Amino acid sequence: MSKSNDKFADKAKSLFDDSVDSLDASTLSTLNQGRHRALEALNTGPSPLWRWAPAAGVTAAVLVAVLVTLEEPQVVDTMPESVADMEILLGEDSIEMLEDLEFYAFIDMLEQDGDVT
Amino acid sequence: MSVETATFAVSWVSEQSTGTRALQKQQQLNRFLAEVERRALRIAEIAVRDRDEALDLVQDAMIKLARKYADKDDGEWPPLFYRILQNGIRDWHRRQAVRNRVMVWFGRGNTDDEYDPVASAPDPIGRAPEQELSNDEAMQSLEVAVHALPARQREAFMLRTFEGLDVAGTAVAMGCSEGSVKTHYSRAIHSLRDTLGDYDE
Repeated sequence: MSKSNDKFADKAKSLFDDSVDSLDASTLSTLNQGRHRALEALNTGPSPLWRWAPAAGVTAAVLVAVLVTLEEPQVVDTMPESVADMEILLGEDSIEMLEDLEFYAFIDMLEQDGDVT
Repeated sequence: MSVETATFAVSWVSEQSTGTRALQKQQQLNRFLAEVERRALRIAEIAVRDRDEALDLVQDAMIKLARKYADKDDGEWPPLFYRILQNGIRDWHRRQAVRNRVMVWFGRGNTDDEYDPVASAPDPIGRAPEQELSNDEAMQSLEVAVHALPARQREAFMLRTFEGLDVAGTAVAMGCSEGSVKTHYSRAIHSLRDTLGDYDE
């Protein structure tokens, strides 16, 4: 079984080698160019992507800083509104007004009836 | 000789030595790539069934080997090179699968770029027409059958049979155990023999 497998593999290898030997000149030329690009890459060192890593890190840090800076005014802007709301709610005048709601309703009714001059 | 002169001389000799080593490494790598590139192309071509795509895959593998593994011992280059190439082929198949799904979604099949065995048949060189035709037909049948194998069986068969890597080297190239290589290779060769016969009928 193993011998017949070997025979089959040998024949397949022979066919494959023939097809390799039959590659056309244009393909061989393209391969040659690709090899020389690879040898040029040998001199340029690591991938260009890694060369951009420090710049990418700085960019990311700047981006985070900008986002944080832009985010902060929103927090600052919302605080006075909240404080103002609380002032309105807790201010003495407002509470007094709430306590005298019946009086103001009575005045309003008189104005509508024309009793108030 | 002053200390400065001696330091300069040592530095110069060191630089020359480093430059010589780099040149030797470049020459070694050139020889290795020149020796392996044509078989690698055919292996990639059988896997992806497109010569231009195969050329791109082989060039990418050569560049990655030069960038990442040039400092390795040259005996380690074959399995490393084929590991890079096989990873590239797997990525290519994944991209194709996604592309085909997208094309199906938009109602377009990929019938326009189907493999044409006549168009991509190797050019003939100096053989009798009958022999040439017979071998070309046999190779085309073999290509179709190898391409139809499951991916891991195809890898094991091509690396062991076409490239001639041993079991250990094939295991490195495939990123699996030697036992898995033997299993995949055995299944591949049985499947191919079932499909193609034994070539001696």
